[in-house]
Amino acid sequence: MSVTVHLSGHLKAFSSGELEIALPGEYKTVGDVLNSLWQRHLALRDRILTEHGDIRQHVNIYLGSKDIRRMDGLVTPLTSNEVHIFNAISGG
Amino acid sequence: MGKKGTLLLVGTAKGLFILRGKADSKDWTIDGPHFAGRAVYSAFYDGRAGRKDIWAGPVSWHFGAELLKSTDMGKTWDAPDEMRIKMPPATKKSLENIWQIAPGADNDTLYVGVAPAALFESKDAGNTWSLNRGLWNHPHRKQWTPGFGGLAVHTIVTDKKDPNDIKIAISTGGVYQSSDGGQKWKVTNTGVKAYFLPNQYPKFGQCVHKIASHPKKKNTFFLQNHHGVYRSRDGAETWEEIENGLPSNFGFGLTVTDNGSVFIVPLDSDGKRYTCDGKLRVYRSNDDGDTWKALTKGLPQKDAYEVILRDAVGSVGNEVYFGTKNGKLFGSPDNGDSWKMIQGSLPEICCVKSYAV
Repeated sequence: MSVTVHLSGHLKAFSSGELEIALPGEYKTVGDVLNSLWQRHLALRDRILTEHGDIRQHVNIYLGSKDIRRMDGLVTPLTSNEVHIFNAISGG
Repeated sequence: MGKKGTLLLVGTAKGLFILRGKADSKDWTIDGPHFAGRAVYSAFYDGRAGRKDIWAGPVSWHFGAELLKSTDMGKTWDAPDEMRIKMPPATKKSLENIWQIAPGADNDTLYVGVAPAALFESKDAGNTWSLNRGLWNHPHRKQWTPGFGGLAVHTIVTDKKDPNDIKIAISTGGVYQSSDGGQKWKVTNTGVKAYFLPNQYPKFGQCVHKIASHPKKKNTFFLQNHHGVYRSRDGAETWEEIENGLPSNFGFGLTVTDNGSVFIVPLDSDGKRYTCDGKLRVYRSNDDGDTWKALTKGLPQKDAYEVILRDAVGSVGNEVYFGTKNGKLFGSPDNGDSWKMIQGSLPEICCVKSYAV
């Protein structure tokens, strides 16, 4: 199913200003969606994931309203067509 | 610095500020913050071979640390989609912060020191980078332990006349050096104390905060330790205490001016970590650390509880600059004899780098 990715405003510097990105196609997992997102905006990948492909500690990714860390992470099966990427509220 | 002006790269907890001016003037221009909201612990101006490159290593606590370059004095920044500095997959480590950007001996070599305790090198003026495998594969590495700021290669000292000579400092690991361009590394902490360990003079494991070379005496080096100020006369192989006249042997930053004066800013112990007695005093030695003199002219001497971090003390020629965690930036045009506050309300200052431009 087609998926829409919603980005935190902090990430627009890495997405050519786009904050809502529709990704037509068929996807099985959240990771598949993100791989498609990187095709559109490669700069997002290194800012959202570590060099080893893990979600950065202070980045949260939601499938619908559920945090994928509490599910199966990047291999969480796609059960919603809405993905949200936020920076955590950590900071100083 | 003659007719040249001074360029200051001031990294703070909330971005990089670029200042231009003359050391003895009141009027500095200030531009920033660049990378607003991101902490900048490392910056470097590369004026070699006709370049005018500013490098900086901002870290976003959300989106990671990256090495950025400007070729137009900060008007624009080149941030590649794929970050320049990445820990290779086999390391199973992720880049945490960039602590130091330093030139090699030739015109095109650059080094970057990072957390987690690794050294990266570029032989083409920063176009491509690779992990220094000799250091990464050092058998001591797995026994190095993080300090409060993480486990990092935070200091890189190179010899302009010898491209094979590289010295680094690691917290906590101590001083390591290579004489073959970084292929092999040996530990050289003899004489440096680690008071926080049962064996207080271990081969490695010291928390060395900063080392610097003497500009004219090839084998003379200075070291600010986590409690301890030291000198080496044998190329940073062995170290002797030089604490005569200091109010404390704790501190972070250290710099040596062109005429060989050594500058530190002692702090009151690792338990308190602020300037001794509420007085902001820079200490200078003109005799390689045999004696120290407090420098106070122009610096607050009452209720001044300041913290000066490891890369927040720097010099160019005989000008000296330092910044505090309270956001005050001071400069001396005359080798520390007098000081002026250049900025008083910057964010927490993480590094101060000065250049004649």
